[in-house]
Amino acid sequence: MGGILSYFSGLFGSKERRILILGLDGAGKTTILYKLQVGEVVTTIPTIGFNVETVPCKNLKFQVWDLGGQTSIRPYWRCYYSNTDAIIYVVDSMDRDRIGIAKQEFVSLLEEEELKKAVIVVFANKQDIEGAMTVSEVANSLGLAGVKHKYQIFKTSAIKGWGLDEAMEWLGNTLTQQK
Amino acid sequence: MTDSKYFSTTKKGEIFEMKAELNSDKKEKKKEAVKKVIASMTVGKDVSALFPDVVNCMQTDNLELKKLVYLYLMNYAKSQPDMAIMAVNTFVKDCEDSNPLIRALAVRTMGCIRVDKITEYLCEPLRKCLKDEDPYVRKTAAVCVAKLHDINAQLVEDQGFLDLLKDLLSDSNPMVVANAVAAISEIMESSPTAAQVLELNTSTTNKLLTALNECTEWGQVFILDAISNSTPKEEREAQSICERVTPRLAHANAAVVLSAVRVVMKLMEMLEQTGDYYTTLLKKLSPPLVTLLSAEPEIQYVALRNINLIVQKRPEILKNEMKVFFVKYNDPIYVKLEKLDIMIRLTNPGNIAQVLAELKEYATEVDVDFVRKSVRAIGRCAIKVEQAAERCVSTLLDLIQTKVNYVVQEAIVVIKDIFRKYPNKYESIIATLCENLDTLDEPEARASMIWIIGEYAERIDNADELLESFLEGFQDENPQVQLQLLTAIVKLFLKRPTDTQELVQQVLSLATQDSDNPDLRDRGYIYWRLLSTDPAAAKEVVLAEKPLISEETDLIEPTLLDELICHIASLASVYHKPPSAFVEGKSGLRRVLPPRSQSGNVDEANVTAEVPQQQQPTVIPGADSLIGDLLDMDLGGPSMQQMYPPSVPTSQTPIQSSVAMDLLGEGLDSLLGPSTLGGDVLGGLGDIFGMPQSQSYVPPQEVWLPANKGKGLEIMGTFARKQNQIFMEITFTNKAMQNMGDFAIQFNKNSFGLMPAQPLHIRTPLPPNQSGSTSLPLSTNGPVQKMDPLTSLQVAVKNNIDVFYLSCLVPLHVMFVEDGEMDKRVFLATWKDIPSQNEVQFTINNVQHNGDTVSQKLRNNNIFTIAKRNVEGQDMLYQSLKLTNGIWVLAELKIQPGNPNFTLSLKGRAMDVYSGIHGAYETVLHN
Repeated sequence: MGGILSYFSGLFGSKERRILILGLDGAGKTTILYKLQVGEVVTTIPTIGFNVETVPCKNLKFQVWDLGGQTSIRPYWRCYYSNTDAIIYVVDSMDRDRIGIAKQEFVSLLEEEELKKAVIVVFANKQDIEGAMTVSEVANSLGLAGVKHKYQIFKTSAIKGWGLDEAMEWLGNTLTQQK
Repeated sequence: MTDSKYFSTTKKGEIFEMKAELNSDKKEKKKEAVKKVIASMTVGKDVSALFPDVVNCMQTDNLELKKLVYLYLMNYAKSQPDMAIMAVNTFVKDCEDSNPLIRALAVRTMGCIRVDKITEYLCEPLRKCLKDEDPYVRKTAAVCVAKLHDINAQLVEDQGFLDLLKDLLSDSNPMVVANAVAAISEIMESSPTAAQVLELNTSTTNKLLTALNECTEWGQVFILDAISNSTPKEEREAQSICERVTPRLAHANAAVVLSAVRVVMKLMEMLEQTGDYYTTLLKKLSPPLVTLLSAEPEIQYVALRNINLIVQKRPEILKNEMKVFFVKYNDPIYVKLEKLDIMIRLTNPGNIAQVLAELKEYATEVDVDFVRKSVRAIGRCAIKVEQAAERCVSTLLDLIQTKVNYVVQEAIVVIKDIFRKYPNKYESIIATLCENLDTLDEPEARASMIWIIGEYAERIDNADELLESFLEGFQDENPQVQLQLLTAIVKLFLKRPTDTQELVQQVLSLATQDSDNPDLRDRGYIYWRLLSTDPAAAKEVVLAEKPLISEETDLIEPTLLDELICHIASLASVYHKPPSAFVEGKSGLRRVLPPRSQSGNVDEANVTAEVPQQQQPTVIPGADSLIGDLLDMDLGGPSMQQMYPPSVPTSQTPIQSSVAMDLLGEGLDSLLGPSTLGGDVLGGLGDIFGMPQSQSYVPPQEVWLPANKGKGLEIMGTFARKQNQIFMEITFTNKAMQNMGDFAIQFNKNSFGLMPAQPLHIRTPLPPNQSGSTSLPLSTNGPVQKMDPLTSLQVAVKNNIDVFYLSCLVPLHVMFVEDGEMDKRVFLATWKDIPSQNEVQFTINNVQHNGDTVSQKLRNNNIFTIAKRNVEGQDMLYQSLKLTNGIWVLAELKIQPGNPNFTLSLKGRAMDVYSGIHGAYETVLHN
């Protein structure tokens, strides 16, 4: 029944889509959120908790939840999974040391029952810095090839604003088509 | 499917529905849901399961919704401490919100979330809010510092919040200042280190006084409280504070008035008590206090309790306001009783007539408690104002004529007190009192009546009959009455021994044989023995002149009063108890009045130091009336344990030598002549060898308390005599697994009145497997009780674990004093004077010393050889010693050459000590 309801509301374009931005601490999640919302780079401090903002995208409204990435907060991500339409997974392309941890978190994310239908967007962030891992490197490290969800990976830089618009556009299209 | 399904989360029910609504997209629906959650929470349902969902509603522009979520957080953060971390970021953001209300709301909520894990994240936002541009935010943040200090004092002190808080005292906004003061006061109470940082100085006090006029009434209370807690440095400063505080006395809020009164009362102590300004202040204090009495009864009561203290401290203030304390017919009983109390305190010869008329009126009211207290008050007036005593007595007699049972009983109780104050003055009324004997059914009244009969037995012809009539139901009486009856009959017997012998024997046997009350039995035995051994002494003891009572027995003890004055306008001043007595966990930070003003030259200072003693009504020290109480009054007197019976030392007077010399003596007389050798020679020897005068023998330490009996504490000890003083050498060894501390020591009464001359000093804490030793000087001024054996000493040692009791023997030789050398003539006279049956012989075996070394050894232990004689080849040493309690013992030591066994003959008046002295000889000569 919920499906029919959301179908109609989808037609009028007023339906808010719920999107989570996840990733390890310091990957740039909060910066991406505010770059998307106000179009500016704001100074951020580590997010102990969460931020939530509404971001318009084409004829859709995204309710974007940016959750803190610190080890102590990660266990609480699961509280936000239900009804999630899409996940933006942000990876720090410079952080080769922790790419393994990033993969673990990513994999356990995909196994969640509640996220079965969620669309996955991976941001290989911080591409403006020289020596960053390439998109394919990041994709391989995360093991993207085996992912059964609908997914796409983008090469981004939150600071420079690279890749964010394309990614959101793809996400908007994908979500619209799904309904 | 297994049974585990029953444990999986429910997909139905209220909680689930609310959860769904909380996650709704619609803002209105969300708000409704949060309201539902709060409603459930308020009625006590557990909605903590919704914590994450509610927290997710936290980031919203809707102030109403935000407030609701904050409310939820304050309630449940403690039950979900881990999850609470998800709220931190929102707090941080809200503290930077453009709306000051939201900033303040956030900072206030933060302070209420008592979760350790997140406090550290809240420091930065709090710091920002303390410097916020909006005063409302700053004020809220100030209070938050106090809350945070309660959760984690170390964090607050490390983060420098105390200094930030102190800066707020200079804030331009009075509301901020008041809240900062409140926060500081709270922090200072709990933390001594913070108290140092936050100590008010002159300039901050001035800032507070400036803010005082502008802030709200409760802000004023906080500021006045803070000012009263700090003490100005000099009189001028105190005066200027008083000048700026006195306008607050006219405030409409009773709390402000009382707080101002407290400040003034406290600072008055520093003002010159004769100065003009002091007098002005006294005048200024009275109208506000009077005004408080026209408020609601509850406030009146609080005011009256405080006035009760003020009147005791400075009676001058309200001395002319007696009338406002007259009771109104419609006052509640608690106000009436309190007013009565204050009336009595204000009574003086000038207004006694008025007061008596009032009291007489009160005594005819209907409320029993009030009537009783009024009757009692009349008695107190009589005791307080001598000129009016007669009028009071006649008023009481009038009241007795009313025959109202409880009035009569109460009147008799107070008349007894009047007799105690004015003995032999009003006994003409006894006849009237006796008429009412049968109506008395309360123990206190009966006891009072019996006391009166006993006290005036010689003037009451039928006293024996009256007392006998009480005796019939002796077993059923209250102990108070029994004790009184016993004493009264003994008094009667001593006054009229001829016809009351039977009566006294009857009561003594009732008290000693048929009673199981130890107090009664003991007193019965005391009387019995007194009467059977020495009736004359009994008369002196039982019929001794008793100290007069004074009206001030019901005053609060002065140091407590001073402390309570510092707590005027608080619960302590209503309870008349220091806060430590009823506030749990309140450490003993006692407030004290500032030192009294000492202006002028030194002479004047001395005078002013004495003046207060005259002004202060003196409280009868308990001890004064103790003896009187022991033998006489028991009515509300202190219990028996508090008193020491007059100590009866076992000694006798030192032997004086006025006895003429008997030259025909037993050969001893020849000592007087040539052989003055003994002492001098030995003294010389002592000098040559550089022997210290009193190098007395110290027995090795022995175990007094084994560790297994002392819960791990082992105590070893011995006694020594050094520098003319007795020391207890004591070693504590900690054989337990934990640190020990808080050592203290006490002695039971003992034969020589030994007691510690100073508190026990042991390095504490005493860690496991370590020992601490100390030399505890002892005095011999303690209570005396003959012990068996004589040298036994019972000791109680306390530490942080328990109290331990041990018993040890004091080697008698430490009790021998340095001036125990008797003059030769005196020695001779004394030796003859003491009957020969007092002479006892002992043998000391196997001594390996000759006469001279023996003398020297003994001398080191204060056994003095007075003379030496050679009789038929045997050495005879004549010796004397004196014990700390003045007992002299004379000795003759017989040494035969080549025989290691000495013969010791002791002669003295107290034969009890002989065996101890023999022991001392043994000890000294064998070591």
